[in-house]
Amino acid sequence: MRFGVVLAGLILGSGTLVAQMGSLDAPAAKPKQYVSFAAEPQTLKAGAKSVVELNFRVMDGFHVNSHTPKSELLIPTAVTMKPVDGVKVGAMEYPAGTSYSFSFDPSEKLDVYSGAFTVKLPVVAEAGQHTVDGVLKYQACDHAACYPPKSLPVQVVFTAK
Amino acid sequence: MFKVKRSALFLGLIVVGISMLLWAGWHNLRERKLAMQRAQQNRVELIPDKVAQSGQSTVEGEEPQLRGKAAPGFALTSLEGKKVSLSDYKGRPVLVNFWATWCGPCKVEMPWFEEFRKQYAGQGFEILGLADDVDAGKDVIAKVAHKTGVSYPILLTDGKVQTAYGGLEVLPMSFYVDKNGVVVEVTAGLGTKDEIEANIKKTIASGSSAGTPAKQVAAGGQ
Repeated sequence: MRFGVVLAGLILGSGTLVAQMGSLDAPAAKPKQYVSFAAEPQTLKAGAKSVVELNFRVMDGFHVNSHTPKSELLIPTAVTMKPVDGVKVGAMEYPAGTSYSFSFDPSEKLDVYSGAFTVKLPVVAEAGQHTVDGVLKYQACDHAACYPPKSLPVQVVFTAK
Repeated sequence: MFKVKRSALFLGLIVVGISMLLWAGWHNLRERKLAMQRAQQNRVELIPDKVAQSGQSTVEGEEPQLRGKAAPGFALTSLEGKKVSLSDYKGRPVLVNFWATWCGPCKVEMPWFEEFRKQYAGQGFEILGLADDVDAGKDVIAKVAHKTGVSYPILLTDGKVQTAYGGLEVLPMSFYVDKNGVVVEVTAGLGTKDEIEANIKKTIASGSSAGTPAKQVAAGGQ
């Protein structure tokens, strides 16, 4: 009887484990964002002109328009930050894009970000820890399709000493 | 004494059995992980070279479950300010194509659509181009549509139609609707010209016993 109970328990347990392993077959959730933001605390000099770096990464296989795409129809990548007490924010500095063409239309040259890219935020901050919130707006495409414009919330935390 | 030994042997067998089950499960998991990694690597490597050969976008599972179901109805305004409903085309095969002015792949296939529209006009085939980015403005949409050379109706979306067609997380997105108003095929992303034509032929052939095409064509239209 006791063996029966042990046996039933072990079989049920192993069955659950195998079922959990089987859940790997479930389809992966579709990505909601094609760009990720790496929040890295930074330290700056208080009262002096400094630069806060906002590090982004475009998912493999995708690209987004640069801040200065070559067509007015294209949606540029742009970051807007909310004003915060004790921090004076300058104009955002965007990296240059790289040239890209869809293979189905090699004649049209696009200016895009792919992989990692960094946007620089010039600031003059009072001493102390600061948190600045903002939004990255972008529009991504892959090799054969494009995706509606997205907004990615960003939060930068830095300490001015 | 013999009974105890037999019990111990029985328990030992159970433990060995369970251990083998667990090992098999772990081994299976490991193999699947490796297979997934290999598949992922292959996917990334294929992107630069397989562009025009596949209509599938990188994001999988975007297509709404509309294939085989009735196409959601809509009544939208055309660039000319005319009210156009899907039901106006009842009895005709229709390609409902969602596009946007900022979508490069969309603008590649639009001239192909125009070509096929003329080619299959005799079978009553029609195309409705639904502009997803109405915020770009009617003039910009008209300018882009004109540049692609299309003459089929371009309709301004209202937000509701996108939801009805599954949310449209990918563009271009095409819904091939047969004479009976049933979605025969759904494609996301740019396909090849041959794939598009095959889908059009399939749509024309679908539900062909529903009535006399010539009569339906005459009854349809804007």
